[in-house]
Amino acid sequence: MALTRRTLLTLGGGLAATTALAACGSNTGRTAAPSASPAGTPAATPSGTPDPDAGRPALSQWYHKYGEDGVEAAVKKWAAEYPGAEVNVNWVLADYEKTLAAALLTPTAPDVFEYANGPTLDMIKAGQVADLTDTIGSSRGDFTPSVLDRLTYQDKVWAVPQTVDMQLLYYRKDLLEAKNLTAPTTLEQLTHVATTLAEGGDIGGFFAGNDGGIGVLGLLLMWAAGADEMNEARTEAAFNTGDFHAGIAQFKQLFDSPGMVKSASADWSDASPFINGEAALQWGGMWDLPKVIAAHGENFGVLPFPAIGGSGRQVVPFGAFSACVSAKSANVTAAKNFVKWLWIDAEDKQVEFSDAFGTHIPAKPKLFGQAKQVAEGPGADAAKFVTDHGRSNALFWTPASGEAYSTALSNVVKNGADAATEFGAAAEKVTAELARVA
Amino acid sequence: MRPSRWGTALAYAAASLLAVFFLLPFYVIFRNAFSTQQHLIAPRWNWLPNQLDTTTLQAVLGNANYGVLNALGVSVVVAVAQTVLTVVIAMMAGYALSRWRTPASRVILGMTVFTLMVPAMVTFVPTFVMVSSLGWISTYRGLIIPVIFSAFATFLFRQQFLEFPRELEESAAIDGANTWTTFWRIVVPNAMGTVAAVGTITFIGAWNAFLWPMLIAQDPQMRTIQVVLSQFMTSQGIRYPEMFTGALIAVAPALVVFLFLQRWLVQGVARSGLK
Amino acid sequence: MADGSRSGTTLARSNRRWFWTFVTPFLAGLVVFVYVPLLWSLYLSFFDARNTVTPTSFVGLGNYTYLLQDRLFVDSMVTFIAFALFIVPLTFACSLALALLLQRITVLRAFFRSAFFLPTAVSYVIASMVWRMSFFHGARFGLTNTVLSSLGLDTINWLGGENSWYWLVLVSLRLWLQVGFYMILFIAGLNQIDPQLYEAAALDGASAWRRFRHVTFPLLRPTSVAVAMLLLFNAFQAFDEFYNTLNTVGGYPPYARPPLVYLYLISFGSGAQDLGIGSAGTMILTLVILVFAFFQNRLLSIGADK
Repeated sequence: MALTRRTLLTLGGGLAATTALAACGSNTGRTAAPSASPAGTPAATPSGTPDPDAGRPALSQWYHKYGEDGVEAAVKKWAAEYPGAEVNVNWVLADYEKTLAAALLTPTAPDVFEYANGPTLDMIKAGQVADLTDTIGSSRGDFTPSVLDRLTYQDKVWAVPQTVDMQLLYYRKDLLEAKNLTAPTTLEQLTHVATTLAEGGDIGGFFAGNDGGIGVLGLLLMWAAGADEMNEARTEAAFNTGDFHAGIAQFKQLFDSPGMVKSASADWSDASPFINGEAALQWGGMWDLPKVIAAHGENFGVLPFPAIGGSGRQVVPFGAFSACVSAKSANVTAAKNFVKWLWIDAEDKQVEFSDAFGTHIPAKPKLFGQAKQVAEGPGADAAKFVTDHGRSNALFWTPASGEAYSTALSNVVKNGADAATEFGAAAEKVTAELARVA
Repeated sequence: MRPSRWGTALAYAAASLLAVFFLLPFYVIFRNAFSTQQHLIAPRWNWLPNQLDTTTLQAVLGNANYGVLNALGVSVVVAVAQTVLTVVIAMMAGYALSRWRTPASRVILGMTVFTLMVPAMVTFVPTFVMVSSLGWISTYRGLIIPVIFSAFATFLFRQQFLEFPRELEESAAIDGANTWTTFWRIVVPNAMGTVAAVGTITFIGAWNAFLWPMLIAQDPQMRTIQVVLSQFMTSQGIRYPEMFTGALIAVAPALVVFLFLQRWLVQGVARSGLK
Repeated sequence: MADGSRSGTTLARSNRRWFWTFVTPFLAGLVVFVYVPLLWSLYLSFFDARNTVTPTSFVGLGNYTYLLQDRLFVDSMVTFIAFALFIVPLTFACSLALALLLQRITVLRAFFRSAFFLPTAVSYVIASMVWRMSFFHGARFGLTNTVLSSLGLDTINWLGGENSWYWLVLVSLRLWLQVGFYMILFIAGLNQIDPQLYEAAALDGASAWRRFRHVTFPLLRPTSVAVAMLLLFNAFQAFDEFYNTLNTVGGYPPYARPPLVYLYLISFGSGAQDLGIGSAGTMILTLVILVFAFFQNRLLSIGADK
């Protein structure tokens, strides 16, 4: 037999076969070819494949698809402007995290990529991202401390914030006034307001996503009820308290009430339901502020998420998509230099990124004044919420912990399961995760 | 034996009603593509479209950022290449497995059947890493080659060839033709029904594939139409008309191919005999 | 016989060479793109492999025991075993019913056949879009909710999860997409039954149902077995329609989670890819499929005439 069992069925044999095939492939994903959107790049982009002897390293940079128009064109323009390397921007349309996760396992991982709230603990521990403490250097103090904290582990900084996003409660001031209601600061008030406004059927009450808010409000409910994810020492889960259960029970009341809008023409991250009158109150992203202003002018206001229960407090979440450098990159130094050039030094670009496409907060407080939308008006109110009530996900709250928590939340709120049992199971899982990553 | 009139009338009534339900989704795609967003989310369901012009179509096709035209091109190349290669490879393998009863043949048949039971997901990540190490990311090679080895197609061809009378091959052998020539000149032309059947199934599968192209085609120029379509579902600000215009564009070629070839598909399946 | 009528070792060897010529491309591809990754995946399942495919920490059966104790995984397996037990006979019955229905129709038969078969050409992504956005949207503008409110009933949040209506959505979606294909298989099977057998039965005074039970169904056995097998494999490998129908910006909900979706989320999940567990899970799933296939085969072989 020409093909022996040995070559066929062993791991080594199979891989040996593939090395022959590799001779046919030269594309490792790091194309230096020009970007794919001809309509949107005013600056000159190189045509054809650049001469590899030209001296500039080639870098690939990944972004997820931003909902706002113009972002893609802007980032590609900036990438083209960078003199130190040939930067190719990949604008990922769907399932960014999964696609990136798959790519990071391979030699064709991007050199520079953004990630929500910086790299996860597992990514840092697996050595997938490079240490950027030196890159940030003395500018470390420029960034909002709470934002940078999230990106810090073992005193090293692992990513550079690009811009800060937050969520808030949009509400129709005019409708509330028409029914003599005041802006809700507690969950009970919110339930009352939502139910009252929904009477009559013209408009819905409160909308927080097509999953009833479980996804986006998850941790907020914990914080608003006065609980914390874990104890100071990070050894065990700390949210499984009676106050917390009572808080969730209150949320379930809101969920079950006629004031809750459980399904709308878009999800929470798009303010369309609030804009076109499907809901009178919506938990949405600050990025939609310009559209809301355009639609409702003076007739709306913004609020933090209401407090729940006696020991509760108002809260807004914030997070920053942050630029990471792949530790396995062939050009780590070049990549770091690019990140420094764009996200640390080029403050005009940082302001533009925050201000010109939807509303976001610059990552450096000193730039607030330059970003028109957060300098005054509802944007300024919102930025103040971050200062006064802002909270961000903990680095040690792993995706598995989040998964366990949101499963428990979904079971309790949607299906009426017993809070103590469900959150008890979730707390166990969180404690196990904390032990694993300690 | 004559079927009762009443029974036949009932059959026609049932079939008609079912046909309406089966074809309704196609109409909905059409309606949604040719309406405005407001029309679609109005409190009342409107049966008729309200924007029967090419505005949305032009917007979707013309927007280079969406990349729809480009994706259609990529999908065509991938689907056609994948179909041709899959059919040829499976046909040859199926023939081999049907005509030779050696121990090796039995082992390979076993491997083939076993593959049918393995969920595609099992091999997903390692296959992806392997393809990446080969340097095939964002290339046609990466999109096509890993998926042209279809155990299902091979199996179908084997079943078909088992039924194929050997007299034709024998007389060709007596006339001096070798196995290779006999296969291509005599066996294959007589198996065109199964070829069409397998080809249609493969083409549609290739055209509709989602997960693998999404992971492989990281370069925007290499994205297939289904991946591009998915952007509409998960991105901020989904506008239903654009989403469904994309769906209309994506489904049309598959429907056309299908309508033309379904006759062969039916015949091919009938002849393959699932024994 | 083409492969043995002329004796001699030369012929045997040259014949074998032809065998390999024909089978090698397929075999090579199968090995490289199915078996090597399969074995690599098996290898990974015994390691703690987070965010890496070349792990170093061996955990033996640790991943397996973890999964078998994981509430979510066990839930999803149990749900899907139930789902398979339900959807396989349902799809089988519907496809067969449609095939029989078409037999009764002579006028416009090709049209009806095309109508039922056409959905096979539609991708799961697009079909999910239609079901999720237009038919079963939870807001008032979906078709079903419009019908409900016009009848004076409350609207239903189909995909919300506080009720079990999402099963109706998913099952109807699957049926629409798949029934046509299996119908064709049954039509092929039915066409091979000699009509004279029906006439003989009718002459004996058998009613339509008895004709079906004693003539049609037994003679459909080979087709039935094939269809049942395909349906079973398909039921456990459900992914596309579930993922595209239920996935939201907030992530995939904890209900109606097919094992493959769960394992996909584990393997490629948000920044923490646990490939050891993902691989172990797919091994378990494969084993379950094999066990079911074995029993189903046994069940359907009872009474079969070899």
